[in-house]
Amino acid sequence: MPVRSFDPRTKLALGAMGIAAILTTQKTVPLGVELGLLCGGLLALNMVKPWIRAFKLILPLVVLVFIIAAISFTVDTAFMLSLRLLNLLTLSFVFFQTIGPEELGDSFRKMGLPYEFSFILTTSLRYVPLIGGMIRRIIDAQRSRGIDMRPRLRNVPNFIALLMPLLIQAFVLAEQLAMAMESRGFARTGRTFRKEYNISFGEYLIMSVALGLLVAFILWE
Amino acid sequence: MINLSNIYYRYEETSEAWVLHGIDLSIREGEFVLLCGGSGSGKSTLGYLLNGLIPHFFDGVLQGAVSVSGHDTRDSTMADLFAEVGLVFQNTDAQLFNSSVEKEIAFGLESMGRSAREIEIEIDRTAKILDIGHLLDRPPTALSGGEKRLVTIASVLCLKPPVMVLDEPLAHLDWEGAARVRKVLRRLHQEGTTVVVIEQRVGAVLEDATRCVVLDRGKLVFDGVPGASRPTLIEQHLVPQYPLKQESALREQNPLLQAKEISYEIDGRPILQNVSVHVKDGEILAIVGRNGSGKTTLIKHFNGLLNPCAGNLLFMGKGVRNTTPQEMAVQIGITFQNPNDQFFKNTVEEELMIGRSLSGRDSEEWFEELCVLFDLHDLLRQSPYRLSEGQKKRVAVASILVMRPRLLVLDEPTVGQDGRFLEVLAGLLLSLREKGFTVVIVTHDLEFALATAERWLVLYGGRVVGMGPPEELAMDTALIRMGALGADDRMLSRGVLDRAC
Repeated sequence: MPVRSFDPRTKLALGAMGIAAILTTQKTVPLGVELGLLCGGLLALNMVKPWIRAFKLILPLVVLVFIIAAISFTVDTAFMLSLRLLNLLTLSFVFFQTIGPEELGDSFRKMGLPYEFSFILTTSLRYVPLIGGMIRRIIDAQRSRGIDMRPRLRNVPNFIALLMPLLIQAFVLAEQLAMAMESRGFARTGRTFRKEYNISFGEYLIMSVALGLLVAFILWE
Repeated sequence: MINLSNIYYRYEETSEAWVLHGIDLSIREGEFVLLCGGSGSGKSTLGYLLNGLIPHFFDGVLQGAVSVSGHDTRDSTMADLFAEVGLVFQNTDAQLFNSSVEKEIAFGLESMGRSAREIEIEIDRTAKILDIGHLLDRPPTALSGGEKRLVTIASVLCLKPPVMVLDEPLAHLDWEGAARVRKVLRRLHQEGTTVVVIEQRVGAVLEDATRCVVLDRGKLVFDGVPGASRPTLIEQHLVPQYPLKQESALREQNPLLQAKEISYEIDGRPILQNVSVHVKDGEILAIVGRNGSGKTTLIKHFNGLLNPCAGNLLFMGKGVRNTTPQEMAVQIGITFQNPNDQFFKNTVEEELMIGRSLSGRDSEEWFEELCVLFDLHDLLRQSPYRLSEGQKKRVAVASILVMRPRLLVLDEPTVGQDGRFLEVLAGLLLSLREKGFTVVIVTHDLEFALATAERWLVLYGGRVVGMGPPEELAMDTALIRMGALGADDRMLSRGVLDRAC
């Protein structure tokens, strides 16, 4: 059964149970078993290559946590904490690779939250790359007029040169977005929701297995 | 169809000045109206009146009556009006708020409560009209400027509104993107839609319109057939009358900057391929080409914002690879397209002081000269954010020039600017050349490049395909056929204007 075609509520429930299992686990062996299950999931979903690319980005963070915890506590605790972080990041990776922003919003709407809430969620995700582009443009413009924007401690006061234009442009964009939404009937009642969602028997079965695993991990602890 | 009767409007109750001042205007069914005016003339505000954003979204003071299809917009809601008058906004990023083109087109139809089947039929129909069927699954962020504009039109067109109002639909587009949009507008008009285009690029739309309406500081100063509009358009500086380009005096022109065989790629995709260029000391060089041809990427190499994957760059005979942009800023000043990216101080004077303090060669005389040249004395105490677009651009260029760089680079300086500012900017650039500055202009506005530059460098697909005198390159049929250059709309339209009068 392809996970990507699951009802978004199923994906959300599986993700929530996964996070609960990782957060309640504090021993190295169960955490290792969880990582094994996650790796099995990566293999089954054919996500190994993209995960390796993402792993290169998260590895410094995991190593940093290990070093800080090893200095502050013990090496065993550091190993447990970094493994738990790795599990959390891997689960988040799988979750966001299998659920689109709209599906996430739809899952909240189907759970009874107002459409406006799910719309805000999906729209804010839509604008992340745009804001990223805005930040790059502003930094280029300020560096070109001689302002040092490199990430150095002495340059911290210079970052007002990024924040001010960014905030002002974000406010302007927000107002224009509101105008554009109103001009296409956002406030009108009786909206059509084209996509129909149904939780299948198989999905209930998978959620039951996941719940069983969660209980097993809690008991193991 | 639309009737505006004695309209007065201001955005703030406390403000004294009216943005619209006694407007009487009737737009009949099936007309193609070009609504034009300089920056701050009130043309966008007039557009907001037509679909009910004023008075339902903006507060402020509205006097007079606006009726659409016989209904007063005060008595209707925006939810009633959005299917009657479709408004396409200038900023495509604000209008494209869904995750795919298909969902973007569907949004308005979903608001109307249409059935899923009907929505699918409408998406197909709209995509066929605009020839964007291949884009339906793509996210708006992955589209070119021209494609984004077509999708914004599609998102409104799918509602089949009897009236479509488009706020600067050609802004940011090169000649090819503009030609695609114009073709769509002509088709809409032929099929019976009432089209109202709000534009600063007057010439480009004038030959398609059946009526021209000119606004100046909130007042209607012309309303008639396009053929009779020329005197008003020239008087209002909507068709720029550029100063005559003086032949440069004979002088030794050493290369100030040389790029040798530079290449640049992103994720294996070549953006620049073996580009060689030399900028002569004291000249005005225009780097021209379509959007996405690599122009901005090239100039980012000049001051070290980017380092080439291959090749090298010399400034005054020295390599710049290990120099940071902030070190280069006193030698090479680059000002990018959007002046709002630069401003973060409370006043214009403080903005200018940044360059003065960083340059290490603060000169009161040069500051004074610059203020006179750029007409900044009245603006020094004002907030840069409260200026008009033309004033912002002037301040942005001055904030770079205050460091007295040897080379000034302007990235798309004409985008979003009205004709009056273009005339001023052309004059300023020619004055700067007289003062010994070297200037590089990056633009897809061929008319402006022709009016100001002594030499063109033509980029196409990341390669140099032409270099030489502008007058020769602009007529090069091989370059035009290739798509590297276009027969600029405004140049064409000026011909149309001349013929019409």
